[in-house]
Amino acid sequence: MPKRVLLANRGEIALRVQRTCRELGIETVAVFSEPDRNALHVRQADAAVGIGPGPATESYLVIDRIIEAAKHTGADAVHPGYGFLSENAAFAEACDANGITFIGPPASAMQAMGDKVAARRLMADAGVPIIPGANDVDASNLAAAHAEAERVGFPLMVKAAGGGGGRGIRVVETIDDLDGAMQLSSSEAAAAFGNATVFLERYVSPARHIEVQVMADAHGNARAFGERECSVQRRHQKLLEEAPSVAVDPALRARLCDAATAAALSCGYRNAGTVEFLLDDRTGEFFFLEMNARLQVEHPITELVYGVDLVALQLAVADGQALAPGPAGPPEPNGWAIECRINAEDPHANFAPSFGLVEHVDMPQGPGVRFDSMLYAGLDVPVFYDSLLGKLIVWAEDRPAAIARMKRALQDLLVAGIDTNSAFHLALLDDPDFVAGNVDTGWLEREFTMPSPADDGREATALIAAALAAEMGGRADGAAPAAGPSAADLWARVARADAMNTRVQHTAERGWRSGTGS
Amino acid sequence: MAKRHRFVVGADEHSVEVDQTSDGVTVTLDEGESLSLDVLEVQVPGTVSFFVGGRQQRAYVSRSGSGYEVTIGERRFVVETAAARRGRGAVGGAEDAPGQITAPLAGVVVEVRVAVGDVLEAGATVLVLEAMKMQNEVQIPRNGTITAIHAEQGENVDKGALLVEYDTDEE
Repeated sequence: MPKRVLLANRGEIALRVQRTCRELGIETVAVFSEPDRNALHVRQADAAVGIGPGPATESYLVIDRIIEAAKHTGADAVHPGYGFLSENAAFAEACDANGITFIGPPASAMQAMGDKVAARRLMADAGVPIIPGANDVDASNLAAAHAEAERVGFPLMVKAAGGGGGRGIRVVETIDDLDGAMQLSSSEAAAAFGNATVFLERYVSPARHIEVQVMADAHGNARAFGERECSVQRRHQKLLEEAPSVAVDPALRARLCDAATAAALSCGYRNAGTVEFLLDDRTGEFFFLEMNARLQVEHPITELVYGVDLVALQLAVADGQALAPGPAGPPEPNGWAIECRINAEDPHANFAPSFGLVEHVDMPQGPGVRFDSMLYAGLDVPVFYDSLLGKLIVWAEDRPAAIARMKRALQDLLVAGIDTNSAFHLALLDDPDFVAGNVDTGWLEREFTMPSPADDGREATALIAAALAAEMGGRADGAAPAAGPSAADLWARVARADAMNTRVQHTAERGWRSGTGS
Repeated sequence: MAKRHRFVVGADEHSVEVDQTSDGVTVTLDEGESLSLDVLEVQVPGTVSFFVGGRQQRAYVSRSGSGYEVTIGERRFVVETAAARRGRGAVGGAEDAPGQITAPLAGVVVEVRVAVGDVLEAGATVLVLEAMKMQNEVQIPRNGTITAIHAEQGENVDKGALLVEYDTDEE
């Protein structure tokens, strides 16, 4: 096993990987940008190295600085997390060239999966179902493209071979719109990805986004850990995921897992990866969408229903160890897990991002609750990165119990100082379509409307709380509270508390608490 | 001694009367029924917790500008003191040339309260502008008659954008 692992990431995923490392007796090295100096992933690491200013292009995406940080601290392995450099083949190669173990797939497998047309060919050869389409189309030979498009059928999608994250994709309803869409996608792809190649795919809609977690070792073994349902999306961003899926029975699960392991083996994949499929509920057909060559954001729901630590497996596989064989037959999930992505955004203002100082956090706790989060009181949420504050994850015996548990956990979560999308998740978990499991990738944007805040008496509570604060908490005119109360202040508080027949608690700088009885 | 607090949440003004006696605390919200509170804890910034009618209520309260920010579960309330709101709202047209009202800050027009031809007294609200989740009443600084409205509900306006024109005899 590695002795010291550098986490080339930030936020909750850096913390997540650090935790497993500590359990395994592996030291951790954090890297941080200037605005992340006080972040939890820096505080909890054994060593930390500053790698530049706030913008990711000047810090978390600079390969040389991260390699230098690893060498400087004697880290013998690098975990890339997700996002940033996690699927960057040049980064994996740079680690290799410097004798640092990259905890992820080989650069060759990333490249094979990075070109969507090459991946389609690879999958077709491996017997993995792909979306009916046409690989050999060219924006400069539109007559040939028309014939191919007629064969694929409408509506169809024009996609960029080098694309990702929804960019370079156009839905074409009729053949009249094909030429323009191909030319636009092609020039957009050339500008964005340096590769003008486009291809056509049948537009499978409505469909569910179902993905399978795989793990492959250096000895030719690959194991699948069942499916995750990720159909609840807004603008291609997943918001809530669950494992297993209501739409997958054991027979379908076996077929999905076989296809996913075949996909991984076909490209010489190693380490953790996710094979994404579109599932057509009406026909039961599923199609390969893409393979994500990294640990996914939503990996914890798989960990909970399969009783596995995927980061520990990543470390073992990167160390050259062989995967233990799975149980005979298709993997059976135990219970039900749901993840809600807690984002810093205002659900009542069109999900506008919310930045600034987190003044206070009440963390959800109790049976079946896991909160992988970068939150703490005093965190100043920077503007440079995505809005994910943490992932609230629950496990329960079945789906209704998991939904009830998630609602309870969301109600226990309190974040003061910035907005979060908790209210959105609570509304979603009450939606009849969601509760029935009737969702597809377009459902949220098509059907769901964020309700206005309920008139539930909380405004009255807020007003009373403000009045009590004004009476007992000092001036309300914005005067800065003193750093610590004087002795006279404390006596005055006791006297006021006595008068109000109440108990006042004060947390002093050293952390002791004094309760004053009435 | 009862003390009356005037607050604004959103666009609405509220009064909360707090009466502390040796028997406990009584509050009266918006001149309604008096509620007897058993106050457990008041920390600012911190938790304010009380029982009313046997039911526990809990909020996280911090100072925010000229008032408080109160977080209850997944909801956040900005509770401004009414005096501060009036002071801020008046900023609206005070510096404008007579006959014009411009946006005191960038924001979204959430409500237009006047129509062309309306005769207003100084201090009347002409529209409500929302920025950074705070609603700001923009007021007419002089007596006048509305002659033109250049903003509509839902519109984004920049700071200094001309919102309303009016005729006035005052300088």
